[in-house]
Amino acid sequence: MRLLYKLGDALRRSFDFLRRDKKAMAGAIILFILLVISAFPNWFTPDNPSAEIYSPGAGVSWAHPLGTTSFGQDVFSQLMAGTRQSVMIALIVGFISTILSVGIGITAAYSGGIVDDVLSMVTDVVLVIPTFPLIIVITAYLKSASFWLMVLVLVITGWSYGARQLRVQALSLRNRDYLLAAKARGESSWYVISVELIPPMTSLIVANFLGAALYAVLTAAGLQFVGLGNINTQSWGTMLYWAQNNEALSIGLPLWALAPGVAIAVLGSGLALLNYAFDEIANPALRPVSKRRLKKVGA
Amino acid sequence: MREKFKGGLAALAFTLVASTCVLGTSVAGASGQVPLNLDNEQGMLWPCSFNPFLPTSSPYSVGLTYETLDFIDALSNAQVTPWLASAYAWSNGNKTLTFTIRSGVKWTDGKPFTAADVAYTFNLLKKYPALDSNAVWSVLSSVTQSGTNKVVFDFSKSAVPYFYYVADQVPIVPEHIWSKISNPVTNPVTAPVGTGGYIMSKCTPQNIQWTANPKYWQPGLAKVKTVNMPAFLTNNTANEYLATGQSAYGAQFIPNIQSYFVAKKAGNGYWFPPVANVSLFPNLTVPGLNDVAVRQAISYGINRASVSKIGEYGYEPPASQTGIVAPTFSSWSSSTAMKAAGSSYDPAKAKSLLEKDGYKLDSKGVFAKNGKELAFTVITNGGYSDWIAAMQVLGAQLTKIGIKVTVDPIASSNFYSDVYAGKFQLAYNVESGGPSPFYEFRQWLYSKNSAPIGQAAASNWERYNSPAVDALLNQYGATTNAATQHSIMDQLQTIMVQQAPIIPVLEEVDWFQYNNKEYSGFPTSKNPYAQPALYNEPDWGVVLLHLKPLS
Amino acid sequence: MRFLVRRLGFLFVALWAALTVNFFIPRLMPGNPAESMMAKFHGHVNPAAIKALEVAFGINNHQSLMASYFQYINNTLHGNLGLSLSYFPIPVSTVIMRALPWSLGLVGVSTIFGFLIGTALGAIAAWRRGGILDNVLPPTFIVISAFPYFWIGLLCVWFFALTLGWFPILGGYTETATVTWSWGFVGDILWHSVLPAFTILLTSIGGWILTMRNNMITVVAEDYVKMARAKGLKPRRILWQYAGRNALLPNLTGFAMSLGFVISGAILVEYVFNYPGLGFTLLQAVQNEDYPLMQSLFLLITVAVLVAIFISDIATALLDPRTRASS
Repeated sequence: MRLLYKLGDALRRSFDFLRRDKKAMAGAIILFILLVISAFPNWFTPDNPSAEIYSPGAGVSWAHPLGTTSFGQDVFSQLMAGTRQSVMIALIVGFISTILSVGIGITAAYSGGIVDDVLSMVTDVVLVIPTFPLIIVITAYLKSASFWLMVLVLVITGWSYGARQLRVQALSLRNRDYLLAAKARGESSWYVISVELIPPMTSLIVANFLGAALYAVLTAAGLQFVGLGNINTQSWGTMLYWAQNNEALSIGLPLWALAPGVAIAVLGSGLALLNYAFDEIANPALRPVSKRRLKKVGA
Repeated sequence: MREKFKGGLAALAFTLVASTCVLGTSVAGASGQVPLNLDNEQGMLWPCSFNPFLPTSSPYSVGLTYETLDFIDALSNAQVTPWLASAYAWSNGNKTLTFTIRSGVKWTDGKPFTAADVAYTFNLLKKYPALDSNAVWSVLSSVTQSGTNKVVFDFSKSAVPYFYYVADQVPIVPEHIWSKISNPVTNPVTAPVGTGGYIMSKCTPQNIQWTANPKYWQPGLAKVKTVNMPAFLTNNTANEYLATGQSAYGAQFIPNIQSYFVAKKAGNGYWFPPVANVSLFPNLTVPGLNDVAVRQAISYGINRASVSKIGEYGYEPPASQTGIVAPTFSSWSSSTAMKAAGSSYDPAKAKSLLEKDGYKLDSKGVFAKNGKELAFTVITNGGYSDWIAAMQVLGAQLTKIGIKVTVDPIASSNFYSDVYAGKFQLAYNVESGGPSPFYEFRQWLYSKNSAPIGQAAASNWERYNSPAVDALLNQYGATTNAATQHSIMDQLQTIMVQQAPIIPVLEEVDWFQYNNKEYSGFPTSKNPYAQPALYNEPDWGVVLLHLKPLS
Repeated sequence: MRFLVRRLGFLFVALWAALTVNFFIPRLMPGNPAESMMAKFHGHVNPAAIKALEVAFGINNHQSLMASYFQYINNTLHGNLGLSLSYFPIPVSTVIMRALPWSLGLVGVSTIFGFLIGTALGAIAAWRRGGILDNVLPPTFIVISAFPYFWIGLLCVWFFALTLGWFPILGGYTETATVTWSWGFVGDILWHSVLPAFTILLTSIGGWILTMRNNMITVVAEDYVKMARAKGLKPRRILWQYAGRNALLPNLTGFAMSLGFVISGAILVEYVFNYPGLGFTLLQAVQNEDYPLMQSLFLLITVAVLVAIFISDIATALLDPRTRASS
């Protein structure tokens, strides 16, 4: 019960802050729109995205706001249909990654000693090994990554950054008075961790979720772009793959290559803007200085 | 710190501007003659390995540097031109083949070429099976030198068509060099010594350069003294190279070739001679496709002319269900089989064949029997956009008459493994073929080429197995008599029409662009002395030897 | 000293982990290398030849797993990385050596420039808190950092190369230029490197600007900065010699951490521009199913990143006594 109260309080304060912050509003609006499109793609796709029934390589027109592909498919419909995969990858990988980061980071910080040493070592090793080449090699052997395989690979490589950050913050909170008081009261470790330790870290955890989601979107797009995703599904990365393989830019179909990138960028910006906003909540020094209290630090 | 910065940036900018002004590329040839630039995009940089036995490096050495015993021209009905062997003769019931080796030929390092080199080369293949990519030792029992200038090939079984592989496809290497190589399978052979008209003079990952061999055994050849082959990573840059007039001899697939290339410069032209069939391979173990009527219906339901026009800009002519490539191999065409085939596009006949076999159109407009719909997926190479386009047209045509076909483009690497292992329902692919239709037919139909589903088969991917056909193919292999050969081919064509084990759709062509105002001597449809594509060994060497710079 | 030993220890653990992962990946994956070889040779091959090639490649040799593992480590440490499949029979090490200078040049130069320019801009933004830079830069670069690296590359190609024609569409050099050390050829290389370098710069600079800005903001609030101002030191001097230097330190560690991300981005940029470096070679190896080459590249990239991190750790230790003391 107290847990829920504390969480609710933290979230309420966050939302108050967010409402006033323009960056956060922008990010939230973008994400909301994309969520709607991915939930109900049929409202937005005028045509069947994989139907090759139009004249190939057509330019922009009312019927085809973004033109058609070399195969005669409507680019706009493909763009809308691809939203779902990207949003889902972002949310699912973000969620699972965050759970892992929180679990490992906080356990390491709270337990200390050997457990902390080992977990920190593992975190650091996973952090420094360049994951993109590793992911490339793995998916190449698998010949192509289905959706869940890609989620698995992204989660395995994406949790370490968050774990490190959360561990540092948990460490700094661990020895605060109120925690020591709770332990002195005889509360169990579970209680201390979940009710006293986690709620103050909420904003950082949310920031991590968004960061992991962003990482997932960009990396998945990169993998699909080089053809390691499932090239038969509808997604923005796969659109880029087909566009690149048909040399879309050189044959006068730039929208086919550029539009999916814009879409990824939009989703990414939404996540990044919100991420930054939550970073600011977690670290008040970063908050924008209001013009009234402006004092030039340097002359 | 900022000042130093700005200085650094300025220096960089200055260097940039200065160097672009000084941009110069020196490409003058050895003799002052402008070099011939070839346009052969392979999507990768050059390995600079010239080992003539390995498929990854033989395209760069066989034909120019290394030569073969004879030259066989697929476009002139397998006409044999003596090359390193001045004569040959079959004996002993077509189980012994004796070559007389040409005299007066020298290796590029000055040493004389002899029959010993020929015997050595073939025995090298026996010792290292990894080098025997044409599997000549699957039919040979021994290769020995006889006298000073003859080499005797003894066959373990009749295999007359293997003459093509033995005489035209095995490059001859010098014994005095190769006997000193410890592992010929992994040796990159970076400085190849051959008998050919060109010497590889310089190789970087970006460009290979050859110069004419001054001591070449054919007097007066080669006339083009320097040849360059730059490495292109994408089709597009390679096509641009041709369009901007920097190359006079190309091997590219160019969409809208008339406006993109031909119109750009006087003398630009192209010729795409058909050489093989690109076909639908039905997996004969899949229910529905194991039914003759279904396969025949598929064949009649395809409007090949339309597939060619929409999918391939009309470059690849429609194929015939008889399997004979026209006009290249028209002399082999059987009029009986052609009559039996009737019109190649006959949707009414397709439907009636299915109905007679018990299929009925269901509520979704798809033919079905006993509740099983005729719905298939056709896999095609995801890297070839023209094949994908062709399949999409074909898929729509078949779906319209009631056989639901969906197209599944698969990334190249997976595509080949799936095809070889039989992991498909329909596959759109091409076999390598040879100088006469027999080779393609054997690749398609010979049961021993195949393998169980799940294991890789080099050809016969549809897993066709007919002892009668095997017998016919073996019979062909035992004879040099033209009449017998024609009769066998006639029977095979009839089987193609009656059983439709493969469904040829379009004819695969040699991609070939040229400029005949800069160079004369290119093969043409009136004078098809060699296959013109740059990726054919050893034909491209033969073509280069015939070229002469004009002006 | 203890610090050095700890970092060295970490380096070796990470290297060992990478080597081991690299060893096990092919053995855990489905698929048959012999099939990929057949595919490579497009059916122009006979089964006996395949068996012989397998032996040449060392596939299917019936060693125990442990024995294979140790031989693999031994081979790798001696630089024997095997033969490439797509460039057969050229050794993997040769192919890598050809690509290495291109990547070093491109990624090295753009990373260093990005770091220098980024930290400078970040410092200035924080110094003039609330000024134009401070308000504009963070949101701009947050948004830019959310763009896929390769898409910025595509945009550059479309706009600068295809539409304006100022720069070449792709490649490291003009295909038929003679490869010599002439001013002409060097200029050709530089001209081809501008767009890819610019792309990497643009996408990575945001990170450095933002982290430097954040660090500076914290540092500027410290007492000794107030003291410096009270003493009457010139603001520019305080900015660069006091606050900047101290804010730089965490950034230096971050530089090494983010190298991994920069490399990932650079791989895709090289792919878009067909720039013949390690990243492009890796992706080509993937498309050609050239497993020996792929794995060696992954290993090389990992080693490069780990060594860079190690060097930056040493540099941080040398520059900041606090890190030495705290460990």
